[in-house]
Amino acid sequence: MAIADDIRSKITTNIASNTAFKVSSELPFDSNGIPLYEKNMKTVYVDDDIESKIQLYRTLDQGEVYQTDTIVNAYLVVDAKNQPSDIDTVIASILSARDAITGTQINESSVESEIEDDYITYTFEYNITKLS
Amino acid sequence: MAVINVTAGSQAILTLGNTSALAIPGAAGSLSVPLMQDVTISTTPGTVRYSTLDATSSSAFTTVMENEVSFNMLVDDNTFFGLSNTTNSVANDGLWTTSNSKTEIFFSVAFEGTDTDDYYFSGQGFIGGLAPSASIDQAVWISPGSIIVNGDLSKAQVS
Repeated sequence: MAIADDIRSKITTNIASNTAFKVSSELPFDSNGIPLYEKNMKTVYVDDDIESKIQLYRTLDQGEVYQTDTIVNAYLVVDAKNQPSDIDTVIASILSARDAITGTQINESSVESEIEDDYITYTFEYNITKLS
Repeated sequence: MAVINVTAGSQAILTLGNTSALAIPGAAGSLSVPLMQDVTISTTPGTVRYSTLDATSSSAFTTVMENEVSFNMLVDDNTFFGLSNTTNSVANDGLWTTSNSKTEIFFSVAFEGTDTDDYYFSGQGFIGGLAPSASIDQAVWISPGSIIVNGDLSKAQVS
């Protein structure tokens, strides 16, 4: 799961100067039905790679060329009532962790937010396409 | 009667050489063009049409055959730019240099592979039509190519 590892490492570097936030090396699994990122606010959790191999070219001599599409999700929860003042900077730093992956055809990241009760969940998605 | 299934990856083969022997499918020292996406053999008689006063439709007679082999390939660096080969100058020089120097080459297009009695077309001609292109979407270099056939195409079987 190299891409998730690289993104996790890059997020750690990108937000290192902001001591209020940290990055967990654990996967965002549920504990007693509650995701860890909801229990541990201001902690970024990066999930494993979701990977699919697609046949990009077929040739008469079976010299196929494949591309690998990888999706990695990351999660961050903060208090909705008392949002950190630098949340925009933190989000931008997490999004730019896509730069850790080089040699790509497509290298995109996006974020969605959802408010529930008194907290905001930011769900990040990294879309990486590489020739393989 | 049966279709010729090319999905096993060892049937449709374009082989090049600077001698007719080196262009036989499967010949030692031959250059089999790898990573071809498609190959087309165009073989069409030239015709001249004429009309007469006593016929309501035009008539025609044939002139000479016009033969061409065209293909599309993912660019393989050794094939395109050449790889040391002491017996086959086409493999040694690569497709582009052979095309650029307008060197006449021998070729074959195997229909069924390289086993005994497998059918193939052979002939000689000039490499042309190379137009390598690259883009981030296609991710690799791709080029069309052609062989402008000089003379006849011959039907043969691998011996």
